[in-house]
Amino acid sequence: MANYANHFKLLSQFREQLIPPEAQAQAQEMGMKKPVEFASALVLSTAFIFPLAALSQADPGIRPGPINGQPGASPTSPLPLASVGSNSPTGILDFFDNGLGRFQEQEVVSGGANNGLGPRFNLNSCSGCHAQPSVGGSGPPNNPEFQAISAGIASGATNTLPSFITAHGPTVEARFPFFTNSNGAPNTSAPNGGVENIFTVSGRSDAGSCSLQQPNFEQAQQNNNIIFRVPTPTFGAGLIENIDDSTLIANQAGQAGNNFGINGTFNRNGNDGTIARFGWKAQNKSLLLFAAEAYNVEMGITNEIFAQERPLPQEEQAGGLPANCLNLSGNGYPEDATNFQVSANSDQGAQNAQVPSDIVLFAEFMRLLAPPVPSMNTPGGEESISNGFALFKSIGCSTCHTPAIRSTQPSNVSASLGNAVVRAFSDFEIHHMGTGLADNISQGGAGGDQFRTAPLWGLGQRIFLLHDGRTTNLLTAIAAHRSSGSEATQVEENFASLKAGQQQEILNFLRSL
Amino acid sequence: MEPVCSRLAALLGSCMLSIACVQGASAGAALPVAGIVVKGAWSSTSDSLSAVPERGTLTDQAYRNAYFDLEYSLSRDWTQLYDGPPPSDRGYYVLAQLEPAGLSQNSRGHVLIAAQDMFFASIPAKNALELINFYKEHLDVDYRIESAPAEARFAGHSFVRFDYASPVAKLHWRLLATEIRCHIVQFIFTSGSVRQIESLMENMKTMKLPNEAGPTPVCIENFANAENLIERADPVFSEPRFNPVPVRIVIDTQGRVKHIHFLSAFPEQVNSISDALSQWRFKPYVLDGRSVEVETGIVFGREPHSTASARR
Repeated sequence: MANYANHFKLLSQFREQLIPPEAQAQAQEMGMKKPVEFASALVLSTAFIFPLAALSQADPGIRPGPINGQPGASPTSPLPLASVGSNSPTGILDFFDNGLGRFQEQEVVSGGANNGLGPRFNLNSCSGCHAQPSVGGSGPPNNPEFQAISAGIASGATNTLPSFITAHGPTVEARFPFFTNSNGAPNTSAPNGGVENIFTVSGRSDAGSCSLQQPNFEQAQQNNNIIFRVPTPTFGAGLIENIDDSTLIANQAGQAGNNFGINGTFNRNGNDGTIARFGWKAQNKSLLLFAAEAYNVEMGITNEIFAQERPLPQEEQAGGLPANCLNLSGNGYPEDATNFQVSANSDQGAQNAQVPSDIVLFAEFMRLLAPPVPSMNTPGGEESISNGFALFKSIGCSTCHTPAIRSTQPSNVSASLGNAVVRAFSDFEIHHMGTGLADNISQGGAGGDQFRTAPLWGLGQRIFLLHDGRTTNLLTAIAAHRSSGSEATQVEENFASLKAGQQQEILNFLRSL
Repeated sequence: MEPVCSRLAALLGSCMLSIACVQGASAGAALPVAGIVVKGAWSSTSDSLSAVPERGTLTDQAYRNAYFDLEYSLSRDWTQLYDGPPPSDRGYYVLAQLEPAGLSQNSRGHVLIAAQDMFFASIPAKNALELINFYKEHLDVDYRIESAPAEARFAGHSFVRFDYASPVAKLHWRLLATEIRCHIVQFIFTSGSVRQIESLMENMKTMKLPNEAGPTPVCIENFANAENLIERADPVFSEPRFNPVPVRIVIDTQGRVKHIHFLSAFPEQVNSISDALSQWRFKPYVLDGRSVEVETGIVFGREPHSTASARR
């Protein structure tokens, strides 16, 4: 009866909010001693009065309140880990602040303070895409790519906006799963998978005579030979990076008793065989690699890990980038490098933080970002969230979305990164997600339908869901877990088996994260 | 309302997929809207004639699996809307996922038929009872045991049955496991109603199963050892990979590898391992005075961690 009592209490709350007083009085006359009967009567009453509002479940949407659940955080100033905020060890806060600043820098092609953009790019700053709910996060509500031409980041004379870039749609990168034949048809014997940048620097006043065409997005869309990825949020990323492989393997072993048809594996680094864990397919081993690849691929800025300009995959087959599109900054390569000479500064920490290259500071910034803090009572109230968490575990969601991984390795960076519980709601394994979500991109050991279990911390304030941002609705995202070939079909079946009120509690729980 | 809408959307999506496939085929250009074309480590076999666990079929309202010599009849309006994932690198198979075909299915439960290969299992269990006991011992505190593991018989076959429930989700599970040909086959029934779940289990009584005496080939774990191997050649891999490659082989009465089943392997691994195994020779296995075929498992590449060693 305890559980009935809980639901009865919730129903009572709904009643107070949604049902007119006369209907409440009618229900009261039926007595409170038979909660099931009363609930049935209530359902009937509400079905007549508020057929949808009282019974159907709905995604509560973006959780209001402090950014990342952290009082003091702002859209441009996410909070660092506690020990970093205490500047322990001394000077680390300067690195965090410097990294935050560089994360927001607007890059140009040449002649400015931050050169090297292009020749192909998706946007001109990290924070442009990693912006929701603050710098370091995922895609914002107003798509910055949609504004790239009007803002002068890309020339409108030589660039057009593809139809998939919309004002309030997801911020995306595009990939073509397959190379194409001479007639433009995808050749399924020739996997491609590389990022096809949306914009070129052609036409910009700082790009010289470089003249490049955008990829043929329209043709790719007609042939379904295009997929999208949204930015992964980076809050708490340092904790993820500092989990020892043996801890992840032990967590995987703990999943062995599940009866939901789930059996994941790890995407291992091709160089040393250790577990990679960043990116939608867990294809990147470290934050430094993650930052360096993004700098090169998303902004076209060469760096100390990716030292060459990157032509599009098909462009490379045709001979690579034209000479007049190389070394556009005029400074040689890599365009981002260690700063061997820095300005003198009486603050030694601030001076030290100027030395590393951008990618090192990007990585430090992400490494030192605090994880999101879940709300205990929003949305839906504490009891609903608590019930939702229990349901989330019972129906099998937590098999992959592991609530807590204990614990990180000792840290040589800052105390908060060491011996910490990682409440990321991920097992960092890759799982088959079936035909419905497959993007046919292979990265490392991950095949076309395998994805890393997306960490759910911070989900409460995330807008665009799933790897391609196809939906903003949690219910749609949950339903997408079920398709042929997916390991999550049984769990989604369990979710579908729940009553609307139970599903609502899970949704409330998810938006509390 | 949402689940119904979701199902409609899923059905509609399937229709759209079919349409897209046809359109794509006629145009000779477009890819299917949804589908898995680029595969990672995947299952494959050396021949198309030998039955393998993951290739069951659903025809004439019955799930049939030639490898397990199993036939399970479905209720009249039941079907499989979604195929399972490929076999895992630890020998776990989702054989079938059964549910009502209609839109009212949410309240009627669903059935998962799965199998765990006994050669590659990460769980330290040698038989169905040990496996089910492992499940019981590791059942999360959020569940309530309704009936402890106990022997049960269905269709003349011995099973281990385990009943548990989630009080918060108000869902019940009935887990039935039995040993068939080197595997522990599991039937997992889920429903919000005990009455419905018992009704679902009625089909177990008419199921067709192989003789418990065991079909040939004989299952022998770790048969590919120095004692039994006369000749062997190691595979030469063209690029470093760090995945386990579980391989199930059938050895003929002459000691040659007659069938190779890769549970999870990249294409280049399949080629290298197939070349190597074609050169292996075993001592013929003699049972009751005559040579018999042997089925065994070998893991190439990275050995997966067992649950026993990895659990802390």
